[in-house]
Amino acid sequence: MDAFFASVEALDDPNLRGRPLIVGGTGRRGVVASCSYEARAFGVRSAMPSAVARRLCPDAVFVAGRYSRYSEVSRQMHQIFERFTPVVEGISLDEAFLDITGSIRLLGPPPAIAAAIRNTVSAEMGLSCSVGGATVKFLAKLASEAAKPPVGGRGPQTNGVLIVEPGDELRFLHPQPIDALWGVGPATARRLRQVGVATIGDLAAMDPELLESVVGRSAGAHLANLSRGVDGRSVEVQRETKSVSHEETYPTDRRDAQGLRTAILGMADSVATRLRQAHLAGRTVTLKVRFGDFSTHTRSVTSPVALDDGALIARHGAALLDSFDVGRGVRLLGVGVTNLVAAGAGPAEQLRLDLSAGEPSRAVPTGASGRGRPSEPVPTRPSVAATSARAAVDAVRERFGPAAVGPAALLERRGRRAGRRDDDRWGPSEPTPDPRPGGDRSAGGGR
Amino acid sequence: MPILGGVRLSVSGDALEVTGTDLDLTITVSTTVSGSGDGVVVAPGRLLTDIVRALEPGAVSLEADDEELRIASGRSHFTVRTHPSADFPRLPVPTGDSVALEAAGLTEALRQVTRAASSEESRPILTGVLMAAEDGGLRLVATDSYRLAVRDLPGVGVLGEGQKVLVPSRALNELLRLLGSADGQVSLRLGAHDATFGIGPGGPDAGITLTTRLIEGEFPNYKALIPANYPNRLIVAREALLDAVRRVKLLARDATTPVRIALRPNGIELTVITTDWGTATEDVDAKYEGAEITVAFNPNFLIEGVEAVTGDEVALDTLDALKPATLRPIDSDAYLYLLMPVRVS
Repeated sequence: MDAFFASVEALDDPNLRGRPLIVGGTGRRGVVASCSYEARAFGVRSAMPSAVARRLCPDAVFVAGRYSRYSEVSRQMHQIFERFTPVVEGISLDEAFLDITGSIRLLGPPPAIAAAIRNTVSAEMGLSCSVGGATVKFLAKLASEAAKPPVGGRGPQTNGVLIVEPGDELRFLHPQPIDALWGVGPATARRLRQVGVATIGDLAAMDPELLESVVGRSAGAHLANLSRGVDGRSVEVQRETKSVSHEETYPTDRRDAQGLRTAILGMADSVATRLRQAHLAGRTVTLKVRFGDFSTHTRSVTSPVALDDGALIARHGAALLDSFDVGRGVRLLGVGVTNLVAAGAGPAEQLRLDLSAGEPSRAVPTGASGRGRPSEPVPTRPSVAATSARAAVDAVRERFGPAAVGPAALLERRGRRAGRRDDDRWGPSEPTPDPRPGGDRSAGGGR
Repeated sequence: MPILGGVRLSVSGDALEVTGTDLDLTITVSTTVSGSGDGVVVAPGRLLTDIVRALEPGAVSLEADDEELRIASGRSHFTVRTHPSADFPRLPVPTGDSVALEAAGLTEALRQVTRAASSEESRPILTGVLMAAEDGGLRLVATDSYRLAVRDLPGVGVLGEGQKVLVPSRALNELLRLLGSADGQVSLRLGAHDATFGIGPGGPDAGITLTTRLIEGEFPNYKALIPANYPNRLIVAREALLDAVRRVKLLARDATTPVRIALRPNGIELTVITTDWGTATEDVDAKYEGAEITVAFNPNFLIEGVEAVTGDEVALDTLDALKPATLRPIDSDAYLYLLMPVRVS
C-alpha cells in the first residue's frame, strides 16, 4: 500500500486530503510511522524522529494513528487479494505476497492480474497500492518498491505496476543499491561500501570468500544468492505468530524500579490478553530494556509450561528487571512472549513424584539466562480461582472494552487505562504524562 | 565380551544344563537327555538356537571336542566353532536357605509391579523392584517417578523382619516370561549380592534357575508419596474404562498428548485434544463422589495402571489435577498404583 496509514487517515477524514500528513508519535521521542506523499516532498520519511519531521515540514498535520483501524483495512485488503489467489502471505499490515502461478490460466498474464488487483483495491477501498511481480519473492518486493509513486515527481512512471519478466531479473536487480536487498541493514551496507561494493551488481561480482569475510559466512552465502536473483523461499499462506510483545517508550528516562514493575504488569496483561484472544500460550518471557544511551538489552526466562496469564508473565518480567541496573535510566521497556503453542493443547507436562524429599513435586522455572533467573520460583500455573477470574475478566472486556477491568495496580486517579497497541506505539504523545503511579495525569487517563 | 554371546552346555550322565549370562543375569535350564559321555562346551547361543529351531522334527545329536560342536539331525549336519569353555564366567550362586513362594501369586504380583519400574539406566535404583518384609508378608514396590506400584503378598514370609532387597526389574520380567502360567512353587535364595529364583517341580536339577545381581543403594522413601486420604473417589467398570481410553488414545499420536478425564457425578468424559489431528471424546458411566474436576494423564500410564488392577471395577482416587492419583481394586488393599497427572495449559 502506498503511504498506508496516512492514506487511511485521509480516506476517513476528507479534510486531510492533499495536505502534508504525518502519522506517528507526537511526543519528543516519537517517530514517523507513515507520511503522505505531500509530506515526503519535504523530505519526511518513515522511521524519522517526529521532531525532525516537524522541522522539515512545519505545516504538516500530525495524527497519532489508529492501529485497530489499520488492521481492519488490512483485513479488507486481504479479502480482495484472496479473490486472485488462495496463496497469500501477509508480511505486514500493508504488504503481502501473492503467488499467482495457479491463477494465470484463469485470470490472464501477470501484468493483467497486477493491474486488476490495483484497480480493485482502488475502486473498492479508495486506496492506492503498488504491485511488483517477479519469479522470486524478494524481487517481487523490490519491484513493488520500484512501482511506488515517485517522490516529488522524479523517477520512472510505472502506473503502480512493475513486472520483472523472466530473464530480466539481473538487468533489474544489478543497478540497485545494496541496501535495497532484504537483510542488508545500515551496518552491513557501510561495511560493503568500504570494500567498494555499492550496487547489487557489485555484490554479484564479488569474490565469495571476500564477501564472507565482510558479512560473515551465512549472511555471505545468502546475499550472494540474492545478488544473483536466487531466492528459494516460497509464498507461505499462514505466517504463524511467533511472538507477542508490547513495548513502551518513556518521555523521560525512568529509574523508579517499582513503577517499572507496574509498567511490566500492564504490558504483561496486554500481552496475555492478546495471547488468549489468539488461543496461544508461550513458554519464554523476554524483557527488553533500552537505556537512555540507546544501549538495548534483552533477557529471557523459559518456563516449563506455556503461559497465558498476565500476572505470571509479569512476575517473570519483574524478576528479569531485577537483573538490570535501572539507575542508568530506562528509555524503553518491552515484555514479549515467545515459544508459542496452541493454548490447551500442550506441550503438556508430565508431573513427577519428588523421590528425593518424599513430597509431590513442584516444577521450577529454568532460567534461560543465568542472571535473569527469578530469585524465587514463579508458579508455573495460576490457581484455579485465578483462572476463573481471568475468564471473567476476558468476558467483561469482551463486552465493555479493554479498560473496563484490570489489575488494581494499574489503576490511576481517573480510572483504568487499558494498555492497547495504539498507545505509545510510535512514542509517547504530548502532553507528557507523568509516569509515576498516582502522579497527576492531564491527558490519556480514563479512556 | 564375545564369550557372553555363548551358551554353556554341560552334560553329566543324562542331565543337560544350559546356561547363558550377561554377568548381571544368569539363566540355567536343566533337562534330561540321552547322554553318552560327560563334558562341557560353549557355543554361540544365537546360532545354536537358529540351527536347532530350523531342524526337522526328531532327535538331535550334539557332539563336541575342544574346537567344534557338531550338530546332526536326520540328513542335516552342522559344524560350529566353539568358545574355550574355561573362559565362560562361573558366577556365584547364593547358597543360603531356599524359601518357597506360590508361583501364581508371585506372577500376578510381578505383573502388577514391574510395569512401574524405570527402564532408564541413568537412575539404576529406579530400574529395580523393592522386595521388602512388611507386616509379616512380602511387599513389592517399583517407581519410575511418574507412577508407583505397591503390591502386598500377605503371609509370604520369605524375608526376615526388616530385610529388603532391590531386584532388577529386567530380571523379574525374564522370570515372568519363564513362569508363564506355571502353577506350583518358585524357590528363592538370597545372597549378599545376588538372588536366585528356581522354577520347576524338582528344584534346580530339573528346571530353570535365574540368578540376578541385586541393585545396591537406597530405594526412595515411597511411603511418604502416598496420600493418606483422598476427597474424590471414582468407581468405574475396568474393561469399559480400558476400552474407552484405548479408543480416545488413537488421537494421541505422540508420547506427550494426555487424556483428560472430566469427573462428574454420573460418569466421566474422556477427551484427547491435539492441534494436529483433532479431538476424541467418550463418556463412560461411573460412580463418582467428590469435586467436579478434570485431571489429565499419560494414556499409556493410565492403561497400564487400570490393567494391573484386579476385579471388574477399579477405584480412582484423586486430590486435584496436579497431585498424585491412585488406582486400586475396590475390594482389596493389596495393590495400589499411584499416578502423577499431566499438567495441561
